[in-house]
Amino acid sequence: MKTKAGWFGKLSIFGISSWLVLFGLLPFLLVFIASFLTRGDEELILYTFSTESYLKIFDPLYLDVFLISFKLSAISTLLCLVIAFPFAYFLSQVSRKYTSLLLVLTIIPFWTSSLVRTYALVVILKTKGVMNAVLIGMGIVNEPIEIIYTDVAVIIGMVYTLLPFMILPLYASFEKFDKRLIEAALDLGADRQTVMVRIIIPLVLPGIIAGISLVFLPSLGMFFISDLLGGANDLVIGNFIKNQFLTFRDWPFGSVASVILTFLMLLLIWVYSLADKINKKKNDELF
Amino acid sequence: MNFFKRLYLFSVFSFLYLPIFILILYSFNNSKYSLNWSGFTLKWYDKLMENEELLDAAIHSIMVATSSSLIATLLGSIGAVAFFRYTFSGKKLLNAIVFILIMSPEIVMGIALLILFVLLNIQLGFTSLLIAHISFSLPFVLVTVMSRLSGFDKNIIEAARDLGAGEMDIFTRVILPNILPAVIAGFLLSFTLSLDDVIISFFVSGTDFEILPIKIFSMVRLGVSPEINALSAIMFTFTIVVVALSQFLIRERIQ
Amino acid sequence: MKKILSGLLLLGSVAFGADNVLYVYNWSEYLPQKVIKQFEKESGIKVKYSTYDSNEAMYAKIKTDKKSSYDIIVPSTYFVSKMSKEGLLAPIDKSKIPNFKNLDQTLLYKPFDPKNDYSVPYLWGSTGISYNSALLGKGAVTSWADLWNPKYKKSVLLTDDLREVFGMSLKVLGYSANDTDPKHIEQAYQKLLALKPNVKVFNSESPKQVYLSEEVKLGMNFNGENYMANQESPDLKYVYPKEGIMLWVDSLVIPKNAKHIDGAHKFINFLLKPEIGKIISEEIGYASPNAASVKLLPKAIQSNRIIYPNAQDLKNSEFQTDIGSAVKVYEKYWERFKALK
Repeated sequence: MKTKAGWFGKLSIFGISSWLVLFGLLPFLLVFIASFLTRGDEELILYTFSTESYLKIFDPLYLDVFLISFKLSAISTLLCLVIAFPFAYFLSQVSRKYTSLLLVLTIIPFWTSSLVRTYALVVILKTKGVMNAVLIGMGIVNEPIEIIYTDVAVIIGMVYTLLPFMILPLYASFEKFDKRLIEAALDLGADRQTVMVRIIIPLVLPGIIAGISLVFLPSLGMFFISDLLGGANDLVIGNFIKNQFLTFRDWPFGSVASVILTFLMLLLIWVYSLADKINKKKNDELF
Repeated sequence: MNFFKRLYLFSVFSFLYLPIFILILYSFNNSKYSLNWSGFTLKWYDKLMENEELLDAAIHSIMVATSSSLIATLLGSIGAVAFFRYTFSGKKLLNAIVFILIMSPEIVMGIALLILFVLLNIQLGFTSLLIAHISFSLPFVLVTVMSRLSGFDKNIIEAARDLGAGEMDIFTRVILPNILPAVIAGFLLSFTLSLDDVIISFFVSGTDFEILPIKIFSMVRLGVSPEINALSAIMFTFTIVVVALSQFLIRERIQ
Repeated sequence: MKKILSGLLLLGSVAFGADNVLYVYNWSEYLPQKVIKQFEKESGIKVKYSTYDSNEAMYAKIKTDKKSSYDIIVPSTYFVSKMSKEGLLAPIDKSKIPNFKNLDQTLLYKPFDPKNDYSVPYLWGSTGISYNSALLGKGAVTSWADLWNPKYKKSVLLTDDLREVFGMSLKVLGYSANDTDPKHIEQAYQKLLALKPNVKVFNSESPKQVYLSEEVKLGMNFNGENYMANQESPDLKYVYPKEGIMLWVDSLVIPKNAKHIDGAHKFINFLLKPEIGKIISEEIGYASPNAASVKLLPKAIQSNRIIYPNAQDLKNSEFQTDIGSAVKVYEKYWERFKALK
């Protein structure tokens, strides 16, 4: 149904479009452009074209930095998935009268400041913190476990902060899921494994991809988690970008890293759309 | 539901909530450094109230959150309806921008906006924060309201038009009342996102307008302290209130 | 709706503040709260205080936020030169700071600001070694080279400062911490490669809390941080390394776009009061350049070697100086050093 916009409509369209283009699209384009400029000594940036920053990124030293960050994020994302999948599944099976309450309880950590939640982990994981006090007090260990300022602490921090982001899309997927399909499959003689792999997972695949995107990408950028919980080398790409912009003042170099992150994001979006297509195909097949 | 499933749910919930409960517990502990319980006290909360810089930062945060979420909700709701009602060129592009804004890691947005502000010579301070916060909240409002609109019956609009209603009237008297829960949800989401934002604000805040998350971050970098525990307890309570409020409002409306 | 808007506006005007404000940008843990409060009481000027943990971060902030309105900043010597050469500093009117006469002459009129037109010394101190004597035993650490000992794997803290970390490595190699020879700097970098496995964390913001919570056993530290840590635990010992300790001076400067230049001068003059210098030294353990303040200090503080080293402590020591464009070589290797696995 085509509707022609009157003055109000035109104004609305203009308002939203201009904001999205000016403060949504334009900044990203600027980052892309900045990645091809040169670092200034006294100035912030020199308007001279150069691919120097891109070449610099391929220095094994910096590739290593990226690799470490990917490793931390990948492990955290995987852990989130492993923990959240059964959680979301069981949550979707809870009887109606408890669903709202449990959903609210799941949403509250999601809405609590990530900084506060990361700080809570610092209090607990410190060498002289709560966790060690409990472990030593209960006689489980004799010496305090040194977890803080290690990659383990960073992973714990990421999982703790981002778990709700994995739970919610998975739950949404399970919610839409028609439980009768499982019953039907079981009736037809399929075992639980087959049901899981060939029915459940393909149908919640978009939810899985969404969850992965909502955990993996942000974890690459959340510099405060690695700042507070990580040691000298447990840094994420976010720290790298932050340092380039706010300490080393190499804006082009920092922009290159941001471009890489953006490219990764576009890749994940593409994977998501593929998963969506598979999901639709599967739905069509089954119905 | 069997015992194992219940145990699993309970364990994950404990994992999520235990650290914060411990924080809140220790905010009442009458000892600065020791983990041993030395008696109940409210003195850390008192000290918090005396910390002028912290209170200033909190007020600043509320100012930015309120104004940015109001504007984002306004712009986003009207924009969502425009997306829904009209066809116009560039819609696909705008949809893509919204999607990208939601998925983007905050750090990329942060430096992107910093570059923009430096280029446009916009002073870093309240203005830059306002623009930045509106920009990251707007997509969420759009998506929330648009998802609500997807079930909206366009025939009602047609009927209203036939009866001679103008565009703005249709918006305020036909569409808006129906999408109000989503608008409110969008507002609350924007408000919370703004109050909690660390990463983007880190890059675009200026010298004379300090906001709460940045202040907390610099406090936390200096070490653990009972005052921060008290502050965390207050913020957590505030979150619970906001979530409860949003649930209540949305349910009220649906009724 | 209108009420809310006007309320917000009122709140806004209160929050945005009046003219009686002073924006101070200083190193973290470098100015006691009670001194700020006293200044506010005596002058009626409200102080808005923010902190940084490295010269580079401070400089980047000034450069990025061009309209930034800090009124007082406290850079180290080589950044005073850099910033004044780039025209970022406003001249200091000595007629407005009569207490200037209290300053120790030997810390004035240095090459980085020959007439002290742009800077006034704030505090001087050292970057040396701290170690936990309860964990390692008394006397376990005596030289910079000790930090390289493989038994200290992942137990060392380094300050987040390129001049200091490289300076330490240069001194271990027998060079000056202010060396400008690119070959020597590269050698220092090579030497540091062996140290990296020992490094647990970089921290210039609050090393004392890392030492106190026993996350590290030993490492670099600022003398004042060790002094403050000793208020809580005597176990943290400060060492003047055999190869020589590194000394530095931080100075008060007024940025060119400061909006409260008068207030800034008042603040500087206030800090130069004898009693104020004394309080600062006593509270945070750094040495005051104010000769009148030193005279007022109790014997215990004057003879506290952490704050006021003796001649033996100062053997082989060097003050950090401006090294001009050679700093770019340091920067290049520093970035690599920090990125190293």
